[in-house]
Amino acid sequence: MTARGTVAVAGVGTSHFGRQPDRDLLTLAYDAVREAFSDAGSERVDAVWVGTVFAPAGVAQRVLRAMGITGIPIVTVENACASGTTAFVEAHEAVRTGRHGRVLALGLEQMSTAFSGAITPETTDPEGRTGLAMPAMYAMSAARYLHTGAVTPEQLAAVSVKNHAHAVHNPRAQYSGHHTVEQVLASRMIADPLTLLQCCPTSDGAAAAVLTPATGAAGEVVVRGAALRSGTPWNHRSPHVWGHDVVADTTRDALAAADLDAASDADVLEVHDAFTIGEIVTTEALGLVPPGEGGKAAAGGVTALGGAHPVNPSGGLLSRGHPLGATGLAQIAEITWQLRGRCGARQVEGARLGLVETMGGGVSVLDGNACVVTVLESR
Amino acid sequence: MSSPTGADPRPAIRRTAEGDWVVVGRRCRACAEPVAYAWPRCPSCGSAVEPAHFGPRGTVWSSTVVRIAVPGHAPPYSLAYVDLDDGPRVLAHVPGRNADEPTPIGSTARLIGVSDDGDLQVEVTG
Ligand SMILES: [Zn+2]
Repeated sequence: MTARGTVAVAGVGTSHFGRQPDRDLLTLAYDAVREAFSDAGSERVDAVWVGTVFAPAGVAQRVLRAMGITGIPIVTVENACASGTTAFVEAHEAVRTGRHGRVLALGLEQMSTAFSGAITPETTDPEGRTGLAMPAMYAMSAARYLHTGAVTPEQLAAVSVKNHAHAVHNPRAQYSGHHTVEQVLASRMIADPLTLLQCCPTSDGAAAAVLTPATGAAGEVVVRGAALRSGTPWNHRSPHVWGHDVVADTTRDALAAADLDAASDADVLEVHDAFTIGEIVTTEALGLVPPGEGGKAAAGGVTALGGAHPVNPSGGLLSRGHPLGATGLAQIAEITWQLRGRCGARQVEGARLGLVETMGGGVSVLDGNACVVTVLESR
Repeated sequence: MSSPTGADPRPAIRRTAEGDWVVVGRRCRACAEPVAYAWPRCPSCGSAVEPAHFGPRGTVWSSTVVRIAVPGHAPPYSLAYVDLDDGPRVLAHVPGRNADEPTPIGSTARLIGVSDDGDLQVEVTG
């Protein structure tokens, strides 16, 4: 493959993730951008794509002018939980096509000052108005999986146990710890069958990546393929639970773009685990494990560090935290660090190929507002 | 918390001459997709739609009990996705079942109107 048209991830950075109500989006964003610029060895960018869901209008220009980034094209995108990776794929496309030379993708969100607990359902949406909070939406999938025997409560809990244990080695994570399956199941019920430790926390944070044309240098991390889709109707005819098909379809697009046969070709993956059932459905939709075996894979260590297909070495959304707009770029940062061999005790040895999947929802009738799948490779 | 304003996005419902509650939705003229909403086109194929009534009977596809505070809804409350017979999948409250266990998946259910707050409601019938 020639370097022409190939895009490199020249630098990545993140703020700390966690409840940080005393900070503001300016300082969180600066933490991420400063690190990404330092990593890239340059502070020059020609355009910026910013992903956020709940930040106020004008937030992109507001945070960027505070660090002297003005006068260039700045675009804000919103795609629910996939907003950060939407910014990334748009920045990638801008560099790949030559529209811009160096592009910054920035994701940010401050949830702790916006909500007292879970995200308030959108009242202009029929199911949001009816009280379908995000945990309840995922609980519907988990309950259905339990009903059909596709997962057990213990397997659901195993995802939380695994990702909290991974996060012990991630100093930027919001939560970490060595929980037991019993502790996860005994934590407070949020929406049956999902308990508190099976739900991502309320988080504040920012993450950034600088994309440039690839130079062909040894060890350079490049984008091997990327794809974005929005969902189609999910209804009584759908063969799968909510969100499965949009992930499967987007994965197919991304693998084709990357000229790969299967997601299992990836050495390490960061996927959307806002709730435990989400990671299980996603590993099945990616084709990483056979249908109905996502729970077994989590409980059996297949998707743990040291397993055949390590998923969410960072701790995932469940443990690193889930500041919506920042999440996708935090996933990109983790995979970039993994491909450079810089992850210390959570490093997947010899990782050369990594995959990032993010999906978000909240619009009734659709199988997700958007899904983004990206394949990164170390050259 | 701010009160919802503007048009109510939830399914419209009405009582038939026989006394049954039905969702007043649309059916696609091209692909026959049932839609619980009075939207101008079919969300599946974009074709023209015509008025259609769905319910009152259906089957519970999945269910949960919400135990966290959600504006406008006092926890715990029981929710179910109900596939209306020859109709769409709708989200409904299951009043009276919110004490301990979610509504059994696969059970039959029937529309019983809307709550004081305008939420679609079903009861389990078998
Ligand atoms: Zn149609």
